[in-house]
Amino acid sequence: MNKPEVLLDEMTREETLQYLNETVRPEEGVIPAYILADPTIYKLEHEKIFMKTWVLLGHESELSEKNDYLTRDLAGYSVIIARGQDDEIRAFYNMCTHRGMKLCRADKGNKANFTCPYHGFNFRNNGELIGVPLQNDIYGGQLDKSTMSLKKVTIATYKGLIFGTWNDNPQPLEEFLGDYKWYIDIVFGRTEMEVVGPPQKFIVHSNWKIGSDNFVSDSYHTMVTHGSIAALGMVPSATYSKRGYQVHTENGHGCNIGMPNPDFAFPPNLMDEYKANLSEAQFEMMSNLKNLIGTIFPNLSLLVSHTKIKDQLISNTTMRLWKPVGPDKMEVMTWFMVEKNATEDWKQRSREAYILTFSPSGIFEQDDTEVFTDITAAASGTMPFTKQLTYNYTMGMHREPLTDFPGPGVAYTDKFSEAGSRNFYRYWLDLMNS
Amino acid sequence: MSMEMMLATHEFQQWLYREASLLDEIDFDGWFAMFHPDIKYVMPVRINKEGMERPDYATDMFAFNDDYELMKLRIERLKTEYAWAEMPPSRTRRSVNNVRVMEYVANEKAVVKSYLLLYRSRSTDIFNDLVSGERTDEFTYVDGEWKLSKRFFLIDQTTINTRNLAIFV
Repeated sequence: MNKPEVLLDEMTREETLQYLNETVRPEEGVIPAYILADPTIYKLEHEKIFMKTWVLLGHESELSEKNDYLTRDLAGYSVIIARGQDDEIRAFYNMCTHRGMKLCRADKGNKANFTCPYHGFNFRNNGELIGVPLQNDIYGGQLDKSTMSLKKVTIATYKGLIFGTWNDNPQPLEEFLGDYKWYIDIVFGRTEMEVVGPPQKFIVHSNWKIGSDNFVSDSYHTMVTHGSIAALGMVPSATYSKRGYQVHTENGHGCNIGMPNPDFAFPPNLMDEYKANLSEAQFEMMSNLKNLIGTIFPNLSLLVSHTKIKDQLISNTTMRLWKPVGPDKMEVMTWFMVEKNATEDWKQRSREAYILTFSPSGIFEQDDTEVFTDITAAASGTMPFTKQLTYNYTMGMHREPLTDFPGPGVAYTDKFSEAGSRNFYRYWLDLMNS
Repeated sequence: MSMEMMLATHEFQQWLYREASLLDEIDFDGWFAMFHPDIKYVMPVRINKEGMERPDYATDMFAFNDDYELMKLRIERLKTEYAWAEMPPSRTRRSVNNVRVMEYVANEKAVVKSYLLLYRSRSTDIFNDLVSGERTDEFTYVDGEWKLSKRFFLIDQTTINTRNLAIFV
């Protein structure tokens, strides 16, 4: 590898890509540190990844009634997601088409029309402009409202997850998720899941990729980073996180599957639903699951965790978005999901487990954010670039994938491998070149 | 204000100042001893609503929603050698002010509101985090002492600008 003669922000687009291709070498287990905090890389990611791929906006259960709406963020742009009077979910850029004012400032609510605070332009929740104050007088009846609908955002859903994209010709969502759907089905499709409460949001001075990478393949860190959990007896031992499988599929998705589990981790009263919603192989995996930690490329991570709290085992299901807000800063948004038809006792205990373990105060969560922050600080500035600092991602390269694993994708016995991260960065690099 | 309420206000101010110094000095056992066994330690998620619609916080989702046992677990965890989030501990400074006694029954129970401004500095960071909010505390009088039986902390941000809540509010 040639020593860089100029800094990234002095390179042309072509030179930047050439340098990325020379230095990001997932197949060899080499990932350079500079890609975590460099502003040029951050800008390119925004253009090539976040403006092009599918990004999570929310869950259908957050808009369960007609005229419910949410405001969320898609690649840094505010978006209104609304369930219309016809029950269809649509999304729009949260900007009045007259003078560009942000139309809706609440996180969520229920209404059929949105009125702009600037001049009172009124839009129906299907995007149509339906009212303009004094329009006949001041526009002489000439204003063509049909050309002034809100800017529509392309959305698609899978198992209740609502994704949006700014791409005019996106790969169909189900094709983008591909084989990974098999695992999403277990996490979000085993029974009817619903989001409880608003998502929790907090700021971490970390590059977003560290979160995605941590969930896509890194169970190794749990022994040390989360050593306190074993010390408290909430999981059986520090090496608890090793047993199971690691899987990755195309397009950078991947997960770690903790198995086997001597205890059934899910509400036992919903057995008929699980069997109806899952294939036999998926149900078998779910029945033996003790945890599942994964990432849907680029920045949505999902999690099923089974811990002992107050001497009782309980699982909780969550998802989180690692939303970039700068090269070295992200907003973490976490949702708690629960089995809609579980007992009240189960729902209460599962929420308690989430708050204790993976909310902003969560005793798993908080040790991770400490690590993410310090990694980002160490990767920042020009030195990691000029001195060509790299991370070692070679774990598990000597191993062969399983040939008899029941699920799709590339699977390995035992979770301690970095194959999923190599796959994540391979797809990241492919998109950066696209 | 009656003499009794002036004295009560002073008493709870001193209680809250003492609590703040125990937390800032990382004496979690000393802090825990100020709790009533029925403690409910609650911090709901704050949300942006339309106009003046209230409450502007979630009633079904929390950053903390702990009882005595879970608070004890959090404190025990911070004492293990793996609690990286607070190792070394954040430097914190809790300013408690606008203390108002809302309800008061001598030697029995009280409800006290106060404002909290929590400064947090970690490691060599040159930036700091500020957590601001209002506490509504319920106290129960046991064996000659006021014990905290409920804390409800309403934070002033909908996106919390600190890396985690490994600190207490």
